Amino acid sequence: MSVSSKSSSKLLKKSASESLLSREEALSPQISSWSTSLFECQSFILSHFSLLCSDKERVFHVYDFISEVKNHRNVALYCSMKSSQTQTATQEKQQPPKVKVPQHALKRTVDKFTRDYEAIIGIETHIQLSTLTKAFCSCPYNYGSQPNTSICPICMGLPGALPVLNSKVIEFVVKLGLAHNCKLSLNSKFDRKQYFYPDLPKGYQISQFDIPIATGGYIDLDIPLEFGGGHRKFGITRVHMEEDAGKLLHSGNGAQVDLNRAGVPLLEIVSEPDMRTGIEAAEYAAELQRVVRYLGISNGNMQEGSLRCDVNVSIRPIGQPEFGTKVEIKNLNSFSSINRAIDFEISRQAQLHSQGQGDHIVQETRLWEEGAQKTIMMRKKEGLSDYRYFPEPDLPEVILTQEYVDSVHNSLPELPEMKRRRYENMGLSMQDVLFLANDMNVAEYFDATLSSGADLKLAANWIMGDIAAYMKNEKLSINEIKLTPKELGELIASIKGGTISGKIGKEILFELLAKGGTVKGLIEEKDLVQINDPVEIGKMIDKVISENPKQFEQYRGGKTKLQGFFAGQVR
Amino acid sequence: MAMGSSRALLILSNFKFKPTVSFSSSSSSSKSFPSFIRNNFRTRNFSAETSSSLQPPDLPRLAETARISLAPNEVEEFAPKIRQVVGWFGQLQAVDLDNVEPAIRADTEGDNLREDVPETFENKEALIASVPSYKEPYIKVPKVLNKE
Repeated sequence: MSVSSKSSSKLLKKSASESLLSREEALSPQISSWSTSLFECQSFILSHFSLLCSDKERVFHVYDFISEVKNHRNVALYCSMKSSQTQTATQEKQQPPKVKVPQHALKRTVDKFTRDYEAIIGIETHIQLSTLTKAFCSCPYNYGSQPNTSICPICMGLPGALPVLNSKVIEFVVKLGLAHNCKLSLNSKFDRKQYFYPDLPKGYQISQFDIPIATGGYIDLDIPLEFGGGHRKFGITRVHMEEDAGKLLHSGNGAQVDLNRAGVPLLEIVSEPDMRTGIEAAEYAAELQRVVRYLGISNGNMQEGSLRCDVNVSIRPIGQPEFGTKVEIKNLNSFSSINRAIDFEISRQAQLHSQGQGDHIVQETRLWEEGAQKTIMMRKKEGLSDYRYFPEPDLPEVILTQEYVDSVHNSLPELPEMKRRRYENMGLSMQDVLFLANDMNVAEYFDATLSSGADLKLAANWIMGDIAAYMKNEKLSINEIKLTPKELGELIASIKGGTISGKIGKEILFELLAKGGTVKGLIEEKDLVQINDPVEIGKMIDKVISENPKQFEQYRGGKTKLQGFFAGQVR
Repeated sequence: MAMGSSRALLILSNFKFKPTVSFSSSSSSSKSFPSFIRNNFRTRNFSAETSSSLQPPDLPRLAETARISLAPNEVEEFAPKIRQVVGWFGQLQAVDLDNVEPAIRADTEGDNLREDVPETFENKEALIASVPSYKEPYIKVPKVLNKE
């Protein structure tokens, strides 16, 4: 098995999607060998089809999956990794081996699963808000501070200390609710959720129970072409405000507590169970991250725990209205782990069903193990926890006025979905649209370049190509490069107008990226103006010929290799 | 679980309402309650029989959720007292609310918000000193993992 080259990956990618699309028909019982080989293909994909992200999670990584049917018994799999310019692969650089599986058992699994079952996925996301202070006290919060330095009687839950709500929390939740098309409760309240655990010294978490501040919204997103493309709309059940708990470090015979994080504001976003695949779930999380970053309400950083996803997965026979038993998965620290954990869990449940052990699927919490690439049992859910919610007596009702909501609405930035539709309508390809709209700063840079009059497609290509490559190499964000959007527009215009060649343009670009300055200044300074006047060029050629009579004679005598010499002299 | 219309009853959402059971043992044990409770009993003059009543609490379970250990004799001692409190809240059920606008909170003053301006709590030594077990820079607690 060989690895396909980059150049052939596009072609092969097409065959992969075709063979996946035809999976249904290929799995007819008569052609059993097909289903076996296609299952290999599927389990390969389940374990390796990944949304990889850079450490900043700005841009997704893409594996292209290619299958090529050699004959009816074997499906050879090829894989190439295509990385776009600003990305860093974080995992799985090696080529995964072909999946070896006992054929009969897995054939049954995939037969039954693909024909009869569908997966139902819902996600609970916690977003840590980037307020300067905690939710109910004025303690500053900075990730990574010395443990137990940002604490006070309120967040430590000492007797008599009273919480006072941070006004930014209200502003941020209204922004998020509106961005997700939610209905806002103009009157809501906080409730106490009782539980005993040392990360929460009060013995309860201040949360919202029966009247969440926002309900009934949705989120729009576009699936990247590499994963089949298409637009999706996923429902948002509710958004509510609550406080974070402290951090626990478990050791052999005890635990250590850091209360810096206790009381930091969180928004919990509960989705409708609308997702069907790991890719859809990962894209949902990625869109949430984009939205909170566009809104400036959270850094959305998964590694730091500023965006935490717990997913619920169940499978059920197609056509059955009731959901199957759902399993919760925790410890998902990247979009790729969301994707892979879900696909692992779907195949685990499908396998149990196919072996007549559907009743072995129990309501439990499982942990995703990144190292082993599998989920393991964490704890069984024994009935609903008794949180004994009751209204928080120390906090007044939360009252929003329609005027306030309207003013926040008017202050919302252009959101990722609006940007994507706008770029799409301008005529950019979906691949360009997704790249440019992924990072708000890149999108703003692109917009600024366009408003300086630059050509749409050329601006997109420069930003996605050489500029993105430079940013990646130098580990810079687009706000840190010295090239201004105006000068990029100037550069594009200079090349398009013929003042300088594309080659010179690239040289100037890297100079501008590193040192700044203006295109005009650099052209003059380096005397780089492209000479377009044929008379002027003719004069230069005459001069070179007259200065090199010996070489000229040799050339005329048949030594045509000297052409390069003359071209070099003219330049 | 049946929910009463009174918000206050949510506090005791552990307890099931059972209209058929009534409390009648109030007079004998009310002495052990703080005076304000007894006063309320007297001045309001609500009769336990006329209000809907609460099922007596399962005291061992109540203690467990509050992480309090009770000896059997303590359970015996506390049960009637707790029943008293529950009965008192149960009387709220008798209040006629037909002409009262529903409210999600008792107070209606609304927001009392603060600006997002950091302030460092200065007396950290006192905070740390009140921690039962502390080893720089962490608060130490007993083992919690794999206990439940």
